[in-house]
Amino acid sequence: MTETTRPRPPFGRSLLRLFTVQGSWNYERMQGVGVGVAEEPLLRDLRAGGNGTVYRAAVARAAHFFNAHPYLCGLAVGATARAEHDGVPPEQVERLRTALCGPLGSLGDRLVWAGWLPFTSGLALVGVALGGRLAAILGFLFVYNIGHVALRWWALRAGWRYGARVAVALREPVLQRATALSAPAMALAVGMALPLVAQYLSGTVQGGWRAALTVLAVAGFGLLRWQRTRLTGLRLGLLFLAAAALVGWLWP
Amino acid sequence: MSLELQLVLLAWGTLVGLDLVSGPQMMIARPLVAGAIAGAVLGDVKTGLELGVLFELFQYDILPVGAARYPEYGPATVAAVSAAHAAAGTLGLGLGALVGLITAMVGGLSLDGVRRLNSRAVQRAGAGLESGDPRVLERLHAASILRDAVRAAVVTAVGLALAQLARDFLAGALTPKGVVLLQVAAVGAALAAGTAGTLRLVGRGPGLRWFALGVVGGTLVAWLR
Repeated sequence: MTETTRPRPPFGRSLLRLFTVQGSWNYERMQGVGVGVAEEPLLRDLRAGGNGTVYRAAVARAAHFFNAHPYLCGLAVGATARAEHDGVPPEQVERLRTALCGPLGSLGDRLVWAGWLPFTSGLALVGVALGGRLAAILGFLFVYNIGHVALRWWALRAGWRYGARVAVALREPVLQRATALSAPAMALAVGMALPLVAQYLSGTVQGGWRAALTVLAVAGFGLLRWQRTRLTGLRLGLLFLAAAALVGWLWP
Repeated sequence: MSLELQLVLLAWGTLVGLDLVSGPQMMIARPLVAGAIAGAVLGDVKTGLELGVLFELFQYDILPVGAARYPEYGPATVAAVSAAHAAAGTLGLGLGALVGLITAMVGGLSLDGVRRLNSRAVQRAGAGLESGDPRVLERLHAASILRDAVRAAVVTAVGLALAQLARDFLAGALTPKGVVLLQVAAVGAALAAGTAGTLRLVGRGPGLRWFALGVVGGTLVAWLR
């Protein structure tokens, strides 16, 4: 089938399903089942002409093991669906899926988890600390999700456009520039947020207590850096609070 | 606190818990959002924001990559706000942090439990999945999301129950100095976790200079206010 005669794929339905791509996350296939569910609408055309076997084989392949960044799974969904339509041999489709896991995971982690998310959340913290209240929270949700939905939509469309040559999409200049910019932007925003939230959270703490707070924060930071493989923020918090509750109960 | 408000918080905590992994991952699971909305539900946005900020700092300690196991701070923040709301003032923050951190730990364990249950369900449906039957695939997926919703509801319910217990038994047991100490410990730990987590993301490269610039800028703004 040529590009002009091919019916428009149901991208909307696939995109909606991609929002729950991690819904069935498990230690067997990780995101595989979710990816299969998202890809299935794009594979329905394969049933045309009563060719149910090709369609079912493609659906089964789509649900095999997969793990990447959830926002970029669309790239793999679009690319493998397109490859199935183009009659790429099954082994090659499997290899394409496997090859995409690492790069999509790494790119998404750098771009979103270590970039866009802490950047926008850092700005929201600054907003709240400066008195922005609910407006800062709503602003965060709005701005963050513009990037989030745009990335999911781009990934799905780019995957379908490039098919088995999907690596080309990962080299798009916009993506490269966004990845390069996100790390310093995140560092600046969160760096700015930290002193402001320290002031915001310690507003009611006065005199010697403020010095105690500084000592605890510095000691806690030192402990987390020193015992980074064993001590997490959660454990440190529980440790500090348990000690404080005990002292507070005994101290007249 | 009325039963109606508790039920609204339970529903909100469930949505927040679902958003973390199952979807749509629009970040209502971030403590800042979960806490602010929980505060708005209780008519106490200030407490909601304070605990949201506190747990957002703890959240910076987490990078949710691959099969990593991590605490769940969304429903935990909802429970923390519930605990802090009744114990108004300085006591609220420390008490809320204590309830929230325990709930976050329970949430993290429950996430692992659901993933194991999902793995068993996938093993059972192996033949159906390999046959390429889309109905098997969709049923499996929908059941997993339902499982996660139940998990999120249970974690929130446990957190709200802990909040009730903390209000009833802990609030009166602390001396005034102990109350301030609890707040100082909570804020100190949050700042330490937030800074350590951010520096782990930033690394030693050029990002460190941007981070330092941000800290200087933030300190200046804080000083000028």
